[in-house]
Amino acid sequence: MKRITTIFLLTVVTLSSCKKIFDLPTEREYISPNINFNNKIWEPVIGRNSISKQGLNTDNSTLPLKFEIVNARYGDGRPVTDLFQVRPTWVWTKEYTGEEKSLEEIQAKRKLENHPLFEIRPSGEFIMWGSSTNELIEPRAADSSNLPQNTRYFDIKVSNTGGSILLKDFQLRPFRERPYAPADDLNFYTGGPAPDPINKTNPFLRNYIRPGLANVTGKATNKNLESNDNRKDVVVFIRPFTGGNGHNLRIMAIDKDGVPIDPAKFNETKWTTMLHAFNMVKTEGYVQYDVAYPIPLTTRATAYSDGNTARVALEYSRNVFGGNRVTASMWLNFSIYREGDWEIVFQFLTDNPKFEDD
Amino acid sequence: MINVTKMNGMKRNIHLVFTFIICVACFNVHAQSKLRVKGVVYDKDARDPLPGVTISTLEPKKTIGVTNINGEYTIDVAPNSVILFSYIGFVTQRVTLKANETTANVYLASDNRALEEIVIRGYQKRTREETTGASTTVLAKDIQDIPASNVEQLLQGKVAGLNIQLNTGAPGFRGSIQIRGLSNLSISGSGSESYLQSNSPLYIIDGVPIDADKAAEYGFQTQGPGVSPTSLIPPEDIESIEVLKDAQATSLYGSRGAFGVIIITTKRGNSAVPRVRYTTNAFINSPPKLRETVGGNAERNAKIQQILNNSLSEGDIIRLSNTNFLADSLNAYWNNSVDWQSVFYQTTFNQTHNIAIDGGNQTFNYKTNLGYYTEKGVIKNTGFDRYSLNMNMEYKPSNKFRFFGALFGALGQQSKGNGVGLLQSGVAANGQASSLLPPPSFYQATSSVVSALSTTNSNNSRNLRANVEGRYEFIPGLALTSSLSYDFTSDTEDTFTPAAANNQFARVYAFTGRNYTLYNRNNLSYFKTLGSHELFFSAFNEIYKKGRQASIIRQEKTANDQLQGPVGFDSYFSRGGGVLDNYGDERIASFAGAFSYNFKKKYVLDLSFRLDGSSLSGAEDPYSKNPAVGLRWNFYKENWFAGLGWLSDGSIRASWGKNINPNGSLQSLYGLYTVNGNYNNNPAIGVVYDQIPNPNLKPTTTEQYNLGFDLGLFENRIELNFDTYFKHVKNMLFDRQLADITGFNRVVSNDASIANYGYELAITAHPFKPGKDFNLSFSVNGAINRDVLTSLPVDQYGQFIKFDGDQNYLQHVVYRVGRNTLSNYLRMNQGTYANDDDVPVDPYSGLKYRTDGVYFQGGDPILKDVNGDYILDGADYEIAGNSQPLFVGGLSTNITYKSWGLNVYSSFTAKRTILNNALSDRLAIMRDPFALTSVVPLQNLDIWTQPGDFTKYPNPYDYGRYNQVRPFRKDQTLWAEDGSYFKINSVTLSYNFDKKLISRLGLYNLRVYFSTNNVATFSSYSGPNPENVNALGRDNSNGYPVPRTYNIGLNLELNSGK
Repeated sequence: MKRITTIFLLTVVTLSSCKKIFDLPTEREYISPNINFNNKIWEPVIGRNSISKQGLNTDNSTLPLKFEIVNARYGDGRPVTDLFQVRPTWVWTKEYTGEEKSLEEIQAKRKLENHPLFEIRPSGEFIMWGSSTNELIEPRAADSSNLPQNTRYFDIKVSNTGGSILLKDFQLRPFRERPYAPADDLNFYTGGPAPDPINKTNPFLRNYIRPGLANVTGKATNKNLESNDNRKDVVVFIRPFTGGNGHNLRIMAIDKDGVPIDPAKFNETKWTTMLHAFNMVKTEGYVQYDVAYPIPLTTRATAYSDGNTARVALEYSRNVFGGNRVTASMWLNFSIYREGDWEIVFQFLTDNPKFEDD
Repeated sequence: MINVTKMNGMKRNIHLVFTFIICVACFNVHAQSKLRVKGVVYDKDARDPLPGVTISTLEPKKTIGVTNINGEYTIDVAPNSVILFSYIGFVTQRVTLKANETTANVYLASDNRALEEIVIRGYQKRTREETTGASTTVLAKDIQDIPASNVEQLLQGKVAGLNIQLNTGAPGFRGSIQIRGLSNLSISGSGSESYLQSNSPLYIIDGVPIDADKAAEYGFQTQGPGVSPTSLIPPEDIESIEVLKDAQATSLYGSRGAFGVIIITTKRGNSAVPRVRYTTNAFINSPPKLRETVGGNAERNAKIQQILNNSLSEGDIIRLSNTNFLADSLNAYWNNSVDWQSVFYQTTFNQTHNIAIDGGNQTFNYKTNLGYYTEKGVIKNTGFDRYSLNMNMEYKPSNKFRFFGALFGALGQQSKGNGVGLLQSGVAANGQASSLLPPPSFYQATSSVVSALSTTNSNNSRNLRANVEGRYEFIPGLALTSSLSYDFTSDTEDTFTPAAANNQFARVYAFTGRNYTLYNRNNLSYFKTLGSHELFFSAFNEIYKKGRQASIIRQEKTANDQLQGPVGFDSYFSRGGGVLDNYGDERIASFAGAFSYNFKKKYVLDLSFRLDGSSLSGAEDPYSKNPAVGLRWNFYKENWFAGLGWLSDGSIRASWGKNINPNGSLQSLYGLYTVNGNYNNNPAIGVVYDQIPNPNLKPTTTEQYNLGFDLGLFENRIELNFDTYFKHVKNMLFDRQLADITGFNRVVSNDASIANYGYELAITAHPFKPGKDFNLSFSVNGAINRDVLTSLPVDQYGQFIKFDGDQNYLQHVVYRVGRNTLSNYLRMNQGTYANDDDVPVDPYSGLKYRTDGVYFQGGDPILKDVNGDYILDGADYEIAGNSQPLFVGGLSTNITYKSWGLNVYSSFTAKRTILNNALSDRLAIMRDPFALTSVVPLQNLDIWTQPGDFTKYPNPYDYGRYNQVRPFRKDQTLWAEDGSYFKINSVTLSYNFDKKLISRLGLYNLRVYFSTNNVATFSSYSGPNPENVNALGRDNSNGYPVPRTYNIGLNLELNSGK
């Protein structure tokens, strides 16, 4: 009996470890040798949150993959370290819906967190955080050249428990900060004034941010004002101002004589619902809000944003010939990336708007 | 091992009747005191001679002889003496010799002990005690009493390691069958119709190899009649079915033996007077519980409520007013409550009849079996009829010469309605129609209803098989056996679709196909006993010649519903003619040798070698070498076990061997050529630049190790068989993608392999000592099989994903080396978002987790964001589950009490992943309340209805966002459920009438039985039936439900001269 039991047990024990005896392969996570990024050069703009997948193809490798930036260097071999400085940056903890009732409510949905200025997150997406500045990261050359010694190179090590793959020679060519958009008035490479779109070589002319205009009639000319490449009756400046609380936004209009126009004249303007802004202060010279930067806060489409830009529109109505009442509008779709006190100025250059009835 | 208690007490009496002694004139007395008695000892059940039967006298008790290899004996005994015929595994027979009796043929009744079963190895009969391979025999009585269109389904749960899933209820179709796990990777089709190519075992019917997969090459979309040759065998005519599992047992069967071998032996004639036996069944098939739907006004209200509660815009409310069937409730056209499923499903009454006539003796015997089976499907306009005529005869004038001939003819006639193959998509779609629609009537019928119910579809599979076998023994022990068979099948399908069902134009479709197999085997064997040593040599060759071809014609737009051609159709739209691409022409030539040796039947050695040349292997090396070794140690015969009374028998088996299955095709070996353009005004023929021919293609090879252990305890009242195996399936076909520079897209290569390993256990117990009136036996078997993918082509780097091309399913299959072979590649469902705030927010962008531009919200499924980019997209898939069952087995109980008998058979399958597409379809019916689809009650499901609900299933009512969120998308693990089930296959209650009573009616035997088939399935699975899923575990709501059968049957034997 014992012998049978022994034989039987021995048999069972021996064969229960089939996997070892027959040297079966063990399962490993799959890492495809064909993992690649279609685009190895990334040209983000410093000072704003940028994200890019760069055409990542994981070729069905087992996710999640671990992505690491390794061997960051300039083309001449100097190591790159400035990209990886850690700075606090805003990250979201809850969804921004556009329905927040106060600045505090918005701020409660995000927090400051330390992140390297440039990183790759577990999804394989490159991120340049808004905490980066021209001072922290030296932008690409002002003469628009891409010399290897000025270009940051890095490699990416992709791994999971099944193995790892080194993808080589990615390039990062950051553009200098453009703290707002549209930044038609700025040269992307130098940060100086942008040339006039028609007379590009004329150093005495420059380009401006131009608003949209509808039915804004010149007081003197009685013609509709225009703002385009050829004619600039009105331009816009987005510029910092001093004396704010650090997160103010001012909207103002200045006539051709440099005198601020009373916002009350823009009688059809939806001051309270136009921007996701709070604590409106309306003076004779400007309207000022408390806002959360950047504007817009996220790419979610809300009542205040189409996903990319917020919109400011100064509107007024007046009676015109024929007995019609016409609404005139002057607007700008804009973004502001850098936190601070900013003003958006609609500057009349050639004529003032006609507020009076005909 | 299936072993059923014979009805001992009762039957033993019958045995005595059978075991009468034939008196022949007495002459030639050798001595005054002693009488020379000759005779043959037979196995009563199998009617085969029994070698090695011990013959002894009662007083004094001493052995006076044994029977030889042919069961013959010659003894010298005193007249009128009592002699005993004893043989292990059989009930000892006591024979009282009459004064001048010199010939006594004895029939020994089986004691139903496993070791002494006669098994067939390499076309040779041997006792189980002398064999080294693993096999299991199922006897006729285990598969009787249940009417079945395919005998395979009766084997379910009866053989450890044989995994049969009855995954369709379509009459005449087969389920899936696997011996010892998976042997195939090839998946065709997409979505729920993904079809794992069947790799059935090789069937040997009375020595003739049959390809059971013949009808299955197109998967679910089977062209022509999908009638398998196994559906054409009447179960009443089967004597025994032996399932060979390991490489040693199957080693001599060569082609297709790699996936196991199933040997079916039909009944032989053996009765001094002709016997006429009749079996009939009258049975009712009832459809299973169908989908619950909400009918009539309740449906309308449910839809309106859904729209009012979930509309995202005012437009929906306006649209509601403009939707007639919802708004105009008093319109007679829309004011109905139709149960659409009852239009298509039905309960049917069916019958079978089988007449068997046999007679003869050892010199000459014959058998005729005439069978008729008719079954109407539970889906209307489907059904299967089988007509069969099966005859055989054996002539054996002396021990030197034997001749056997058999003829098998069968016609399988099947109707698929307007379905294709196993699927009834049209019926499934119609079953979901709104109950508000008017019912089909003389004036009012939708084309789909007409299509399902009025399409005339007739599939005929006519099978004719003849085989002859001759055996001549030159000198004692040396014999030549030669066998020749021809198997021919003619398949036709005729479908006529009436105009009303096909956009007002009738259509005629016809398929014709033919298959033949010519088979020859010549075997030279030599048997020699040298004292305690027994030697057996065998050498044989086998030749196959197989061919098949089929063609289709389709005539569109025929003139009317009465005219079916040949003229009057639209030749522009019509198609047809020519040979389909399943054309085949195949040769196999094999040479094999076997050697067996045993010492006192205690130590057994089997060696065999087989050389198989196949035209389906690459021409570079068409021959494959297949050796096998087997060892057996009958340890209970050792002296040291002699004193153990409780040990009746015990043995250990070990084997190793290789088998092949040539599964190349003419295209994969030689390429495909087509006429492409002219050259010098002559048509030019060139290769098709898709598949490059592979002249090095090898057959799929299995290498298998087996270790077995058999034990019989307490006079074999407890029998135990344990087997453990390791099976490595190599050289499996795999399409390799080629680099562009080759000019071709792909090549069929041999670079994939799977290992299966597992354990099989079968226990049979007779808890009570076999008694005269009461007998009880109980058996249980189970098998654990694990499969591991061991290799893929090198350029796959260890993983290959078979992407599902059906955008509605996307249920991909992933093959990963080191893992179970067929895993699903799905989105991971982690529940349902209870509230909007539970949706994760991307810290970078502040946006919620989203898909297709829509943010997830409360009530949406939590689908894991695998790559971490807060967007659910094509990358977010993970490997999950195993579509192949880990554990299968069965239980059976047989009780006899006096004339009553009760048999209960059940089977179980455990640990497999099923994708419940049926439930997905059911929930998704709610996606569009404006559509004319039915409404299903969902109250019994754990669905999300309000914020804060933690539920399994997402909100089905939010139709506005349905197309973006797709909460019931099929490619998620929400539908992955454990497909474990326990099924009571059948319950049979039988009664044997008293012989005296019925003899007045001129009957010899009369037995009545009641049986039910597919009695009940117990499962935690939420779908309708965990077994009614395809081989990849997809529960397809287009499938054919498995009916429950209630049967009353009768066995009757005429008193033809007894």
